[in-house]
Amino acid sequence: MTTIPLSSAPIPLRRLGWLTRLWKTRPPVVIGLSIIWLVVVLIAAVFAEVLAPHGYADQSLLKRLQPPAFLGGLPDYLLGTDGLGRDVFSRVIYAMRTSIVIAVMGTVISASVGTALGIIAAHFRGWVDDLIMMLVDFQAAIPFLIVALAVLAFFGNNFVLLVVLIGLFGWDGYARIARGLVLSTNGQGYAFAIRTLGVHPARVYFRHVLPNMLSIIMVQITLNFPEIILLETSLSFLGLGVQPPGTSLGLLLGEGRNYLATAWWIGIPAGVVIFLTTLAISLVGDWLRDMLDPNLKGEIA
Amino acid sequence: MKLTFVLTKLARGALTLLLAVTFVFIVLRASGDPAQIMMSDEASPDAIARFRERWGLDRSYLEQYLTYLSAIAQGDFGLSFRDGRPALELVMERVPVTLLLGSAAFMITLVLGIPSGIFAALSRGKLVDQLTMSATIFGHSVPNFFLGIILILVFSMTLRWLPSSGTGTIWHLLMPAITLGTGAAATIARFTRSSVLDVLHQPFMRTAKAKGIPYDRRVLLHALPNAAIPVVTVVGMRIGGLIGGAVTIETVFAWPGVGLLLVNSVNQRDLAVVQAVVLLIALTMVVVNLCVDLAYGWLDPRIELHNKRAAKA
Repeated sequence: MTTIPLSSAPIPLRRLGWLTRLWKTRPPVVIGLSIIWLVVVLIAAVFAEVLAPHGYADQSLLKRLQPPAFLGGLPDYLLGTDGLGRDVFSRVIYAMRTSIVIAVMGTVISASVGTALGIIAAHFRGWVDDLIMMLVDFQAAIPFLIVALAVLAFFGNNFVLLVVLIGLFGWDGYARIARGLVLSTNGQGYAFAIRTLGVHPARVYFRHVLPNMLSIIMVQITLNFPEIILLETSLSFLGLGVQPPGTSLGLLLGEGRNYLATAWWIGIPAGVVIFLTTLAISLVGDWLRDMLDPNLKGEIA
Repeated sequence: MKLTFVLTKLARGALTLLLAVTFVFIVLRASGDPAQIMMSDEASPDAIARFRERWGLDRSYLEQYLTYLSAIAQGDFGLSFRDGRPALELVMERVPVTLLLGSAAFMITLVLGIPSGIFAALSRGKLVDQLTMSATIFGHSVPNFFLGIILILVFSMTLRWLPSSGTGTIWHLLMPAITLGTGAAATIARFTRSSVLDVLHQPFMRTAKAKGIPYDRRVLLHALPNAAIPVVTVVGMRIGGLIGGAVTIETVFAWPGVGLLLVNSVNQRDLAVVQAVVLLIALTMVVVNLCVDLAYGWLDPRIELHNKRAAKA
């Protein structure tokens, strides 16, 4: 059997074929940098105790408002100190942990709740479907930050409520996607075949439908994760999310806002970390989407 | 436009509003005794008794719910415990300031987002396209409160060109409006680009070219009107984002609008004001979505037709 090359590109030498292939599938430089940054953030979040030179609440009142080490500050305090003499670098590292932990928990909640509700809606159809889709529309209709603020106002602030609230953000996206995917797979031969074999619907969904949806759900997670980080940091920035003495990237930026004129280094590093992290996830997410669906290449909305 | 189409959309909007009111009612009741929460600590027992009477707190939940609904429908959101004035009045006097900021930001979104998306699509793959798309990724990822702080740091603290907070002159408006508008502009630009690209690949565009219609006529009269339809939806969807963003931006720039009022009221747990703001925002969103749906039906009569077919089937 002969094969006809579809492109006019020269066929690579057989011996070095795997090298060419590796070179062709390599991520672009920007994506590589983004992935490296995300790994750095993850390591910082996991090993905060080891990496931070000082405790995040350690105060030394004699060393208040020191500029960063590279701007003539104390060599011991890489990014300077804040108004209570706490090390900004250490606080940023601990804040990364808080923000990442909240965002990961929120994502797990919204992805599982949303996917489950989407599957339920598609499985039962009828009034269950109508009810769930009505809630989806409602969620999409009201800006979530407002809803979160209202709930925090009524119940008062605590960490568990904050995580649950953030977990409620974005479930509608997962529900919509899961519902659509289940509806389309239910119409496909293999799902029908398994069902006629007498397999329980729950098993069909877990063993057959869910694995087929995972790649699309993953893409939705990369879309949703930056927004979750932005929601938490916004709330904390407004002083309504993570409460002192805890730290969060948004809270640090909010604290730094009062010192902008005299000590910009208190808030800006946290802001840069938020920006780089959301940017990196968006870039990697775009790239993943291109890899998963080559038809969309360059035309992503 | 068919009456049934409008009526369906109106009914949906009314349902969303009802859900919002119900949500606030449930949250309010679930969080404890409203008489204790809504009134300040110094309220006299007499005032609390009157409050309980007013909202029917001694009767069944269904009766309470109906009392609540009718009060909200009459615009009675209760009194702010900070100065005892009706919550609605407090909110309404802040609305013009927020509208000013919102419309300025919205103009920036449109003026920045739509043309850059069109130009990027028309010069696909070229430098302009790549630069615009890179800019949109930045605009999309930068948190608006961080952008605001950077602008304050550069233009107020370092260069001393613009005031960092407050309201009054056009210079006060500039930075908040830019901060609020750019994120949305990035989304709109990306969406416009892909929508225009979509249309450019349609067979009717090839037909137009074959008929010898000049390039700018083809783009202006054939491509852009067709590309407008999805863009309208996204523009409508971004208005919700603008309202959410206004809350943080007004706080960053101490812009005395509804958003700042909401944040302060949440901090002080002035719940009458909080519920008034939340329900007014819900109302705004419902009206905006309604307008988008109607504009959609007007721009593309096929949608209405499709709905009708779906209804028959």
